[in-house]
Amino acid sequence: MLDADVEVDRREFTVRAALQVAAGERLALFGPSGAGKTTLLEAVAGLVQPRRGRIELGGRVLTSTASPVSVVPPWQRRVGLLRQNPGLFPHLSVRDNLCYAPTASPSEVELSELASVLGIESLLSAMPARLSGGQAHRVALGRLLLAHCDTLLLDEPYAGLDVSLRRTLTDLVSSLVAERSVPSILVTHELADAQAFADRLAVLDRGELLQIGAPDEVVLHPASRRVAELIGYLGFVPSGEMVAGVHPERVIAGGFSDRGLVLTGTVTASRPAGAGWEADLRTGEAAITCRLPDKPPVSDGEFVVTVLDPPFFSSDGSAIAAASVESEQDTAEQVRR
Amino acid sequence: MSAWVSVVGAGVIWLALLGPVIALFTHLSAGAIASALTAPGALDPLVTSVESGLVTLCVLFVLCTPLAWNLAHGRLPFPRVWEAGVLCSLLLPPLVIGLLLVFLVGPYTPIGQVLAWMHQSATNTFLALVIAEVYESAPYYVLGAQAAFASVEPRLEQQAALLGDRPRRVFRRVTLPLAAPGLAMALSIAWARAMGAFGAVIIIAYHPAGIPLQIYTTLQETGLASALPYALVLLVVALPLPLAAYIWSARAGRRRRG
Repeated sequence: MLDADVEVDRREFTVRAALQVAAGERLALFGPSGAGKTTLLEAVAGLVQPRRGRIELGGRVLTSTASPVSVVPPWQRRVGLLRQNPGLFPHLSVRDNLCYAPTASPSEVELSELASVLGIESLLSAMPARLSGGQAHRVALGRLLLAHCDTLLLDEPYAGLDVSLRRTLTDLVSSLVAERSVPSILVTHELADAQAFADRLAVLDRGELLQIGAPDEVVLHPASRRVAELIGYLGFVPSGEMVAGVHPERVIAGGFSDRGLVLTGTVTASRPAGAGWEADLRTGEAAITCRLPDKPPVSDGEFVVTVLDPPFFSSDGSAIAAASVESEQDTAEQVRR
Repeated sequence: MSAWVSVVGAGVIWLALLGPVIALFTHLSAGAIASALTAPGALDPLVTSVESGLVTLCVLFVLCTPLAWNLAHGRLPFPRVWEAGVLCSLLLPPLVIGLLLVFLVGPYTPIGQVLAWMHQSATNTFLALVIAEVYESAPYYVLGAQAAFASVEPRLEQQAALLGDRPRRVFRRVTLPLAAPGLAMALSIAWARAMGAFGAVIIIAYHPAGIPLQIYTTLQETGLASALPYALVLLVVALPLPLAAYIWSARAGRRRRG
């Protein structure tokens, strides 16, 4: 179990977060660039000193600013950190990189088994400069596994790699984390990577932990308008005293009032997006973006869409519970009558 | 076309830099070399220069490497002040350094008196020669070593620490091997500077004479023809170490590239 409750001062703001990650659990820390995600990982790794807080890993106190004050140095923390730059030692071969940690003394069989799992068995005598980005990440991952770290921290490790390779590496890490039963945290600003990896998703913005929960819970029921904006809600449509959040991928063509919020508007622009189409729709004062399987008609005529079970937010940006939404909509209906 | 222009341009500059060496060879005769170098005690300055140069390198490596490491890692308060201090001895003419060293380590200074109490002297001794060479070559080594350490990616050192290495082990297993080619180049430049040290040497270490001083005294006493063979000796003796450092650095680079 990794238990961190820290405050770390940065130039612009203070990063405040309390996280508990169970053994074998995968937590994705999601947020925009500069939100303080890496700072949080570096605090766990002992590379930055928190102003206040306590970090425990597997029952060991790594950092405690309260009495008795304790700061375990990075080389005694047994924390594995994998960054975007895999950080292979350029003067050592792949084999020597894998066996670098003083705690790593694998037998030849163990080494070749791990290399086989990672798909690098033919590269053991190669130098890091010869490796592709994906191969380098596999070697770096293998090095952490052989070091027998008590937790795995992944700091945007797949940025710059192609989508299929990212997915392959994500699956590999997920299975290895489950097998080793260590807590792991993935820092990313790509929601798809976070969803593919995580059991739980935490959203961080300007140093504040805005929401933490199951990935689908966070995506479908963001705790605030700011969380919704961060995870890809591109339109906010007034509905009575509230606003409804519109995620482009939660919109279908046609009016189905039993499935969500029905909107009528005009299509102002459309463009191909993936296997479908992305359209900009103007409805009253609001503009929304939606992804549709078919190309929508761009004309002066009205186009009806349904936003599937949208989250609603009050004027201060906080989410409104579903029951409150229904009662508020009933009240609005009665007022209209 | 542009490739040819750059090769020709580089060749012209290379030849210009090599001009004095070419002039040296064109003004040397086998007979002059033989008579100059076979005289009794003719090779003593060579031995003195090599010994003092090697001691200087050891002193620089032991004393200045930590300073360079600290400068590269920003571990010192007011780093620009420290760097300015290193640059000062580079900016002062070597002759002036020699004169100022008299005020620092001369026989009537506190350091000189401590040395006298230990039956040592920092004027006209081997120690004085080493001190003069250290002062003339140290800034070149410190600045070169600082650049070599600064070229090591700090995140690699962090990664080594996270994998369980204590700082000294990180230095031995990561920092030093990665900085080694740069350190070798810095040492070779310091070696060349120490072997050619003259300005400070002539003030505080007239005896025992190294090769540069031997060239000067021979020129004064018997003329240019007798002095030039010593210049050749200096070149032949001083060149292999920097050349070896170049070759080793290039090989280390090739090995890293796989």
